[in-house]
Amino acid sequence: MSEERGIEKIRTYEEINQKIKSGDAVVLTADEFIKAVEESGLEKAAKEVDVVTTGTFGAMCSSGAFINFGHSEPPIKMFKCWLNDVPAYKGLAAVDCYIGATAMSETKGFEYGGGDVIEDLVSGKEIELRAEAYGTDCYPRRSIETTLTINDLNQAILLNPRNAYERYNAATNSTDKILYTYMGTLLPHYGNITYCGAGQLSPLYKDKGFETIGIGTRIFLGGGIGYIIGEGTQHNPQNQFGTIMVRGDLKQMNARYLRGATYNKYGTTLYVGVGIPIPIINERVAASAALRDDEIFTNILDYGVPSRSRPTVKKASYAELKSGKVQINQKEIPSSSLSSNKVAKEIALTLKNWIEQGTFLLNRPAELIPNHREFKPLEVKGKEPKVRDVMTREIIVGKPNDDIKDVARILIAKGVDHLPIVDNEGKLIGIITSWDLAKAVAQDKRQLHEIMTLKVVSAKEDESIDTVIRRMEQHNISGVPVVDQSDHIIGILTTDDISRKLVRRIIA
Amino acid sequence: MKLKLIYSRENLGKPVLSDVISKTNLPINILEAKITLNTGEMLIDVPAVGEKLKEVSNLFQKAGLVVKEITRTIEIDREKCISCGACVSPCPVRAITQDLNWDVDFDEQKCVGCGICVDACPVRAIRML
Repeated sequence: MSEERGIEKIRTYEEINQKIKSGDAVVLTADEFIKAVEESGLEKAAKEVDVVTTGTFGAMCSSGAFINFGHSEPPIKMFKCWLNDVPAYKGLAAVDCYIGATAMSETKGFEYGGGDVIEDLVSGKEIELRAEAYGTDCYPRRSIETTLTINDLNQAILLNPRNAYERYNAATNSTDKILYTYMGTLLPHYGNITYCGAGQLSPLYKDKGFETIGIGTRIFLGGGIGYIIGEGTQHNPQNQFGTIMVRGDLKQMNARYLRGATYNKYGTTLYVGVGIPIPIINERVAASAALRDDEIFTNILDYGVPSRSRPTVKKASYAELKSGKVQINQKEIPSSSLSSNKVAKEIALTLKNWIEQGTFLLNRPAELIPNHREFKPLEVKGKEPKVRDVMTREIIVGKPNDDIKDVARILIAKGVDHLPIVDNEGKLIGIITSWDLAKAVAQDKRQLHEIMTLKVVSAKEDESIDTVIRRMEQHNISGVPVVDQSDHIIGILTTDDISRKLVRRIIA
Repeated sequence: MKLKLIYSRENLGKPVLSDVISKTNLPINILEAKITLNTGEMLIDVPAVGEKLKEVSNLFQKAGLVVKEITRTIEIDREKCISCGACVSPCPVRAITQDLNWDVDFDEQKCVGCGICVDACPVRAIRML
């Protein structure tokens, strides 16, 4: 960047606020600004338009609220507390807590979580409070059970450590099983694609240089007024994965823009509505605000690979994702959003109305959000057991033409349930379980190749035990052959191995 | 019209569906089938209306099957729906789509009642009927 970041070259915040107060500010939603740029060019549009409004409404797991209950008589220093059976964080002062969006009800599990508590509070519903304490000289009470509404609370402050991802990776699934993920339901064999983020309405993408977004920026948050209080966790702006931390008064908010939600078999969360006004202070900001869906790209990742580095299947624009179908391997795959494009538009429009009515002024940030941050993974120190540490190396294998009855005898003698079938080079080509053998005898089959399963679920020796356990659960099987890079069998890992060797190790 | 056929133990093992297809000459499509040794349920799509549909239904009943017309499968609570799209691409028969305003459209005709959308909805706005 040749010029100073955040330079107010076209107009200053004071000039914008003057025009807002006098009702003369030109405010467009990002959708409208794109059209204006297409019609009259960037330079002219940037001169004419003072503010561009944005919006997004998606699941934002790093969200929650600080609550102060006030003091009971006699008073209590709450050590543990629950709101509608959802545990809240109590490592704070006596009657302060933090209710997080992904905390789950101890009685209803996935059905109800912290996100739902926040939605119910904002809706004015009655919430059950339960708390336990150990009792102190100054706080004698040991337990409390009561009901409350948001009006009874001293403070209910939404404070979300990571919101409004600039863009997000899209998801698909290469495996032959349906997957339930934080990216929604993913059908097998690339059956569908899900994506998140509002694309050309996405607040942070509309100022991707972070020239106007910073600490103190006044925003639309959950239907009320909120503030950006800093970069969000995992802020990764140089890769267009910027995030923000936000704060707002829950008492001013609207449940239309704060919705408790559940991702099936994943967990609970909170849909948060965020809208940021982008003041067009210089031409770089204008160019960023004018970016269209077909200029904003993201990667479609294979969520069939349960690793932090999932393979990219395709790079796609938000225009393509929003069209409802994306081409992969000459096939048209249906795509749909998880965040609401409809509500995102509504938020951008609402924010525009607020500014036009003169009730919402813009502030110059006290400090801009960093436009560069190192993005680090977590390295696990110390040794964790891998497949190679737990697997059985002395394996009994069969050949396709082996006689079933002979094999049955060997399996009984050795007490094993899984028989990998290999070719002459020792390459894995099938598997048989003791159950297959029982069936084969009943059906009068003679050789292994008549009954063996050809599609074998296998493992590699350097994989983590947890990954392979999950794979066995998904396929409802109790053992996997372990193969090397060229599919030669080197061992077998069964649930027996895991329970015997691993559990014993943990106990030891 | 979609029909649900309920087999009892007595009519399992008989080629009831093939008989009906050969008698009526209709390309009946099996949408879902759960057949065990004791009971069976099948969801079929019969491309017929009026008299012809009645004929098909009677033939199944004569063969001893319980026949139910499936007119409604799921219900979307529009008050709860946030028009996100989480149910749209997982629908295996594309019965759920979104219009230009991102409102969710549902085509009862295409729906096979699999229930994937019910689980996919993050705000629990869809229920099976």
